[in-house]
Amino acid sequence: MAIVAKSSKFGKYGRPTLAWIVGLLFFFPIFWMVLTSFKTDADAVKPEHLIWFTPTLENYLNMTENYDYWRFAKNSVITAVMATLFTLFVGIPAAYAMAFNPSRATKDVLMWMLSTKMLPAAAVLYPMTFLTKSVGLFDTKFLIVMVLSLINLPIVIWMLFTYFKEIPKDIIEAGKMDGVNTWGEIKEILIPLAWGGIASTALLCFIFCWNEAYWTVRLTTTDAATLSKLIEGNRAPEGLFFGRLSAVSAAAVGPIVVLGWFCQKQLVQGLTFGAVK
Amino acid sequence: MSDRKLPRLLQTPAVLLLLVWMLIPLGLTLYFSFIRYVLNNLRRPEWTTPSISNWRGFGNYEFVLNNKDFVLAIQNSLLIVCSILFLTVILGVVIAILINKTFPGQGIVRVLLISPFFVMPAVNAVLWINMILDPVLGLQGIAVGSINDLIGSLREAPVIGAFFSLWPELEPISFRATQTSAYAVIIMVTWQWTPFAVLIFMTSLQSEDQQQKEAAVLDGAGAWSQFRFLTLPHLGRPIAIVVMIQAIFHLSLYAEIEIVSRGNGNKNLPYLIGEFANNNIGAASATGIFAVILANIVAIFLLRMIGKTLME
Amino acid sequence: MGRIVLKNVTKSFGNTQVIPPLDLTIEDGEFTVFVGPSGCGKSTLLRMIAGLEDLTSGYIEIDGDDATQVPPSERGLAMVFQSYALYPHMTVRKNIGFPLRMAKMDQSEIDKKVETAAKSLNLMDYLDRKPADLSGGQRQRVAIGRAIVREPAAFLFDEPLSNLDAALRVGMRLEIGELHERLQTTMIYVTHDQVEAMTMANKIVVLQAGVIEQVGSPLELYHKPRNKFVAGFIGSPKMNLIEGSEAAKHGAQTIGIRPEHIDVSTTDGMWEGKVGVAEHLGSDTFIHVHGVEGCDPMTVRAAGDMSVKNGETVFLTPQSQNIHKFDAEGLRIE
Repeated sequence: MAIVAKSSKFGKYGRPTLAWIVGLLFFFPIFWMVLTSFKTDADAVKPEHLIWFTPTLENYLNMTENYDYWRFAKNSVITAVMATLFTLFVGIPAAYAMAFNPSRATKDVLMWMLSTKMLPAAAVLYPMTFLTKSVGLFDTKFLIVMVLSLINLPIVIWMLFTYFKEIPKDIIEAGKMDGVNTWGEIKEILIPLAWGGIASTALLCFIFCWNEAYWTVRLTTTDAATLSKLIEGNRAPEGLFFGRLSAVSAAAVGPIVVLGWFCQKQLVQGLTFGAVK
Repeated sequence: MSDRKLPRLLQTPAVLLLLVWMLIPLGLTLYFSFIRYVLNNLRRPEWTTPSISNWRGFGNYEFVLNNKDFVLAIQNSLLIVCSILFLTVILGVVIAILINKTFPGQGIVRVLLISPFFVMPAVNAVLWINMILDPVLGLQGIAVGSINDLIGSLREAPVIGAFFSLWPELEPISFRATQTSAYAVIIMVTWQWTPFAVLIFMTSLQSEDQQQKEAAVLDGAGAWSQFRFLTLPHLGRPIAIVVMIQAIFHLSLYAEIEIVSRGNGNKNLPYLIGEFANNNIGAASATGIFAVILANIVAIFLLRMIGKTLME
Repeated sequence: MGRIVLKNVTKSFGNTQVIPPLDLTIEDGEFTVFVGPSGCGKSTLLRMIAGLEDLTSGYIEIDGDDATQVPPSERGLAMVFQSYALYPHMTVRKNIGFPLRMAKMDQSEIDKKVETAAKSLNLMDYLDRKPADLSGGQRQRVAIGRAIVREPAAFLFDEPLSNLDAALRVGMRLEIGELHERLQTTMIYVTHDQVEAMTMANKIVVLQAGVIEQVGSPLELYHKPRNKFVAGFIGSPKMNLIEGSEAAKHGAQTIGIRPEHIDVSTTDGMWEGKVGVAEHLGSDTFIHVHGVEGCDPMTVRAAGDMSVKNGETVFLTPQSQNIHKFDAEGLRIE
């Protein structure tokens, strides 16, 4: 099972075939969604048009008028980008401090940060709604940016921490001897050296922000509503609109899936928290 | 040393932000959980504003504990999270071993496999519950329908028709029913997170000591013993990572449940809280405190187990 | 200028004291080597001078000023690391010029200084390469270049040659020696290799478990080791230490005799023993002799190629003027 002798037939033909079948199986739902997005709503639910149908772009062309797609997409882009930048802005100095100037409490602080991520969001849902409504932040992009930043901050700090720890301490010390101050250490040495790690952390943070579907649904109504809210609000259980729903769904996940393809390796590396080499 | 204070201070913004983020809402939740607080009550309008004079003690907690939905929600929460963890780890190990060795198109298969991980949960749920699992219009319904049609037409056939007429008509499963909707959630989340497990296990398999394996072959170890005594222990750490990260994400699973269940009996804790929060804030807050306690139990257990390996 | 004074310096990690109170003065222009077995605290001491490690107590003076609380960047010292610690994202030119850029020097001035340093270190052809494209020796030179452009009060070297292969190490040893001759700047050099210490230093500081065992010139240490530890540590092969009745004859607990101070003969001598292993180096022969009372095996260094076989009987005679005597505490008896 683990190692099959090189000469065995299974190793030569069976394994690749099986691997391809598994890969296609996992991709199938996405393929199906994209395929359906080219069908009319009527064709989408007819068994006879399961595979053979006349493709149409109508669903994509009508996305704006059916769903006001671009308004939600714009909100998604703005909040995810801003939240990612803000998270890095707070996270890089923190991870730097923990990786290169650890104290006895560092480990506990990191663990505590991660544990805040496990707190069920629902437990504080009403107070959050209550508070944000009373200070007038409810359904503002600012609020969504802050919330997305805070929920991703622990993971981001962890990822950056593991990337930073891989930088030899000697290089940071050489910098100290060469006369750089703390800010210079971050700007001249840390960021250029950990650039790859920072980029993949940023990407992952962006993806998590884009896909977030609790706060973005619950703390918005219209002004700050993102694509998650749009899809959640149009779940169309009666199947009347499979075609157009598929199109808007494909448009919502398309950019992220393609982005993910290009950086899958780095993303996985970061998500292992450096514990898997 | 003086120049070490500033670098250490750099972590304070992050710590403070998280502290505020955690403590203020949690404090409010705790407060609300001890008072009578509802959004609409014509008979007792004084309950619609939070006030200490509406003190209820542990009344909300008792109310929640006596609510049959609460036990169901806890069961559901645990059932969903544990099933997902179990399935993703098993599938992840098997698939990782399957695609670990190079074969034509390995890169493409990897890309196909990882894709579900990037799909937003809301789309995931809409896609599965409507277009795939729907008993009538989804692929499931269509597949069951066409199998029934096929068997139906075979019944008409000579000779073998008698045999096929013994076959029962297949019933498509409705995944919106009380219990089955939990299975729908498990299926869709497993689909989304198995790729993550696969990639982490693959990364780990690539660092497996090949010389050790060769030594084992020379020692007469078969494929199974190699897997059992070398590969599996090697995967211990990545399995722990996969379990921990998924636990972090799935304990607060919400979008999928919200879209799949739509108010039928299947709830997990976050969903139940959302439901209470439509009117009874006191009960919602008390449920929230229970959820926090549950999460803490899991968190302590996981962080103890894994924290050490992460710091090395 | 680079006179460095350590007064009552101590260092503890948690509850373990790695350096008990220690005093040391390094004069301006001196080439001082800290030598000792691994874990003796020599690197910690160097890093405390650099400012990379906090002092638990005591203070450090550089050129008469208290530097204890001064951050490393402002001490005016330059350091060469064991791992070279080059900035992998910068070219050689940028690496060498980095400390000057941090000091906000003019770009034209920087370019000039970098060129001068590169010329003296034979790095002119590599200025636009990145560290990853250089050999170990070249990287080492870049690290030295980065140190010299700053014209520091003192250079600190932390085992700089231990990542190089043997041949390169000899070459770099000479280069660093020449650098010191040319600049006449204070250098502090940490190594566990006593050959490096003996060949390069004006002054050697022998450390063990955070304690200074002896400070002195290389030959002082060789001829007059203050105690058994220094006697055994300095010199290669190691000094033979003899206990028991032989030592008692000299009125000592232990006597020591270096392998090169023993005459060996196949016919007669003071001590008799059998040859174990003989190592033929061409220029010398190291003979390990078994059966001499109080010291087994005794190592003897015979000049040239001496043909002795395993199991053969040989006779050894120590040169009496080169016998070192130690008392029960291991201290030298004059």
